[in-house]
Amino acid sequence: MACMLDPSIPKQSIVSDPTSIAITRTSNKDRITDLLVRAILILCALIAVATTIGIVASLLLESLRFFQKISIFDFLFGLEWSPQTALRADQVGASGAFGAIPLIVGTLLISAIAMAIATPLGLMSAVYLAEYASKRSRNFIKPLLELLAGIPTVVYGFFAALIVAPMLRNGGDQLGFEIASESALAAGLTMGVMIIPLVSSLSDDVINAVPQSLRDASYGLGATQAETIKQVILPAAIPGIAGSLLLATSRAIGETMIVVMAAGLAAKLTLNPLEAVTTVTVQIVTLLTGDQEFDSAKTLSAFALGLLLFLITLCLNVIALRIVDKYKEQYD
Amino acid sequence: MFRTNKLVLAAGAAAASFSLSTFSADARNQINIVGSSTVFPFATSVAERFGKNTDFKTPVVESTGSGGGLKLFCGGIGTNTPDITNASRRIKVSEVELCGKNGVKDIVEVKVGYDGIVLSNSRASDVMKLSRKDIFTALAKDVPIDGKLVANPYKTWNEVNSALPNVKIEVLGPPPTSGTRDAFVELAMEGGCKKYDMIAALKKSDKETYKAICHTIREDGAFVEAGENDNLIVQKLEANPAAFGIFGYSFLDQNSDKVQGSEIEGNLPTFENIAEGAYPVSRSLYFYVKKAHVGVVPGIEEFLAEFTSEDAVGEDGYLAEKGLIPMTEDEAEAVKSAVANLTPLSM
Amino acid sequence: MTDTVDIRIPARSPRHRSERRFRLYGMAAIAVSLGFLALMVGSIVLRGTGAFQQAFVNIEINLPANKIDPDGTGDPLVIKKSRFGSLVKKAMRERFPEAKSRKEKRQLYKLISATAEYGVRDTVVANPKLVGTRASLWVRASSDVDMFLKGNISAEVAEDQRRVSDLQLGWIKDLHDKGQIEKRFNTQFFTSGDSREPEQAGILGAIIGSALTLLVCFLFSFPTGVLSAVYLEEFAHKGRINRIIEVNINNLAAVPSIVFGLLGLAIFLNVFGFPRSTPLVGGMVLALMTLPTIIIASRASLRAVPPSIREAAFGLGASKVQTTFHHVVPLAMPGMLTGSIIGMAQALGETAPLLMIGMVAFIVDLPGGVTEAATALPVQIFLWADSPERGFLEKTSAAIFVLLIFLVLMNLIAIVLRRRLETRW
Repeated sequence: MACMLDPSIPKQSIVSDPTSIAITRTSNKDRITDLLVRAILILCALIAVATTIGIVASLLLESLRFFQKISIFDFLFGLEWSPQTALRADQVGASGAFGAIPLIVGTLLISAIAMAIATPLGLMSAVYLAEYASKRSRNFIKPLLELLAGIPTVVYGFFAALIVAPMLRNGGDQLGFEIASESALAAGLTMGVMIIPLVSSLSDDVINAVPQSLRDASYGLGATQAETIKQVILPAAIPGIAGSLLLATSRAIGETMIVVMAAGLAAKLTLNPLEAVTTVTVQIVTLLTGDQEFDSAKTLSAFALGLLLFLITLCLNVIALRIVDKYKEQYD
Repeated sequence: MFRTNKLVLAAGAAAASFSLSTFSADARNQINIVGSSTVFPFATSVAERFGKNTDFKTPVVESTGSGGGLKLFCGGIGTNTPDITNASRRIKVSEVELCGKNGVKDIVEVKVGYDGIVLSNSRASDVMKLSRKDIFTALAKDVPIDGKLVANPYKTWNEVNSALPNVKIEVLGPPPTSGTRDAFVELAMEGGCKKYDMIAALKKSDKETYKAICHTIREDGAFVEAGENDNLIVQKLEANPAAFGIFGYSFLDQNSDKVQGSEIEGNLPTFENIAEGAYPVSRSLYFYVKKAHVGVVPGIEEFLAEFTSEDAVGEDGYLAEKGLIPMTEDEAEAVKSAVANLTPLSM
Repeated sequence: MTDTVDIRIPARSPRHRSERRFRLYGMAAIAVSLGFLALMVGSIVLRGTGAFQQAFVNIEINLPANKIDPDGTGDPLVIKKSRFGSLVKKAMRERFPEAKSRKEKRQLYKLISATAEYGVRDTVVANPKLVGTRASLWVRASSDVDMFLKGNISAEVAEDQRRVSDLQLGWIKDLHDKGQIEKRFNTQFFTSGDSREPEQAGILGAIIGSALTLLVCFLFSFPTGVLSAVYLEEFAHKGRINRIIEVNINNLAAVPSIVFGLLGLAIFLNVFGFPRSTPLVGGMVLALMTLPTIIIASRASLRAVPPSIREAAFGLGASKVQTTFHHVVPLAMPGMLTGSIIGMAQALGETAPLLMIGMVAFIVDLPGGVTEAATALPVQIFLWADSPERGFLEKTSAAIFVLLIFLVLMNLIAIVLRRRLETRW
């Protein structure tokens, strides 16, 4: 083949057999097509990388402009969030406080409630589906659970604000608690339900990856099915389950519509789930819808929050994917 | 190669649609309106009728706040900037300058009518009876106590004024981009601020400090910026009976089954009280038109005619039903003729 | 014979009970999850069905020729230009002459929709013979009356706390007794765009906006997604760069959707200057978001094509490109399409990134192209959910109902496609 690259030698002179000529011609045309196709393919594959770079670059650039106005230390460790700043020179606004801690605490509080709901329900569903359910009921229940994951989050948000929150409030009134209408509990509960299918399908995979030999050994020793699950399968699957829970947490932290519609606006530093808190995503939406002044600290702070959100979820994902990969290797 | 061709074709079509878009952005045949959330319900009603009554396309209306809207509006001439911006206060000199700097020279000012700013709470609670002084004392960042300015220590309304109920101060209000915020600060806060002799004395000696004291709203969580969405504030009030919200009269009117206005200096915010000027916290509503766009974007003149028609802003007009407080007949006539001649604004 | 030892656990033993309890927990977990699903879908559908009906009021209206068509042209364009508002108001005053004061008249006019005059106009335009006659027409009732008839406003509550006054209740009762008010199927909900008046608002504008957005999203993400997958599976060497791309795609799949919105705002709107609020930008943002889903699904289906196919093609002298695009890709196509449809379904339900790029404006007209301002179905749901008028509550639920139907349809198509086209190797 190497000689064909040499243009000085006429092609016909090398081969005399007519069939080989045909092959030679196509393969030469192929070479160009091949290169062209490869180039297009690489370009497409690089779009995904370009997207990541675009995300990081745009978040980083706008955040840097923000940190020129507000110190990064104040942003990361400030205990007060009140992004009011003056718009015009002749307007007396407030100085604005950009401490992200109350937002992070609010986000984590709601995510924690969501995980407290989703972990037991999702895990038990997965255990039941993987170990107990007949093939038929599994084929029926699994798609239904996945439906729960396919419902748009704006629907969950509407449901949380319209039904869950008033229900909690009235329930609280009767029991003598005061539950805010935009309590972290209402948003967290609804978000928990949204995450159940994620936890259950990830855990399902993990449980199914536990080798059958472990089960057989346990049954052989006379353990019941529940004992096998609790003492053999779950311990063996723990790293994988931990990975799935981390993935689910990252999803909860980044969730937007449920909290926009059902959580509060006021940044309050509290761990009480009955009070209204606000989250990082809620603030991004509030800061960027309507208000379009693009160089104020206020608008830019949305990008700093976006960067924070991106980094938190990225860390969780990287750790989770590593754990899951390691776990899978273990049993492969 | 059949499949590849199709794929390449699809990719090409996508690429073509991108390049096309950059061109078609220059030719717009739809009026673009931004601005105040207070004027939003009126502007959308007019826009909708205008679209139905004429062959022009229905204008697109986005609620960005008066300040945000003017900033976009003054961004320059050309169809990627809005044609009209609504404002719940008059345009400021600084904004006219900004406009001029960016080539937006001739601006037509159109007065729409009046609006009261109300401090409301859920119907589940009692009607508050406030004075402007109470409002200032409850919401200012620094308040005078014993002749000295200190950071606002008040947590409940009855600490502000013992006649008021023992309820936590929690007020949802608009951000600085909003004209409602400007008007609230100028009319209610400053109005109350002046009642303190010590601050009133400052007005003559040190105007800057006077303004800073009167216009600065507290940031310790008692006042919450609720974004430009007045609807959202109404919903949040319904959810939390202890909270108060600041918004325009039209929202109170639309939601009178859920929220109630507080009495200010003995006057409830009612249609009659605001029209007569008895209610102390009321202001004029405006919108501003870019004269350079008239004739470029089709329908602007017709839209102005609709907005200033008797049908819309008259005493029995459809905007009055939406909660707008109409101008007197003479005033309306003056506005109408100014608009018909496209008289540019001069400050 | 040796004795057999019974190793079974006695039915009443604590171990057995614990076994049953554990099993019960599993069933309970599934029951709770599915119960929540049923509660959510059930309550929304229940609330939403009301929006498919709308109350109409019958009025006797004078259509004087001198006001509508003074020159007797019969030209629809002339009729379209005239105003019917005062005629409708007059008809209402004639029907209930007891409304005297300004306040009473305002209440009277509020029985029917503020947009009723356009209904009358369209009827007259369609039938110009009505000009100069007294016609009996059905016009849209106002949202408050509509809500009252559907039982969403209770007459029991004190008068100042409901949106229908006692006076209006009397009128409604009179209309009802004479059969002049009735509920009909609300076709307009499916044929018009957004409106400030709940009784007038429809979802067609949002549906078209969503369709255009998805079209852009598909045109952009499907080819890139498939070609990326082909590169990674068929062409790339298992090297460092390949590994980076792979990790990158996996991580991209888990980036919160709102971050993609920020990207769209910063890059597409502020750097490239694409028009705000348009399906073009919305579609591109969603395309970047669905790209990982499509790539991952496409890779899986490429991997499922057995190596024997490739070997056979190579054996016949096909080049790498020929083998891939003539044999492997067509065979993997059903799986790729299925994955893309599922990705599109996700994109259809996505709201947060669209909020960031301004697809939340008030838009009445149906969007005519990808560069015109539009909203999408989930954004419309968000906008209506935020509206204070009570009439929008059932519209929101109905819009959710419609959105869910579209999602179920897309997923069904994906399933059918998979069943019918997918080859099992």
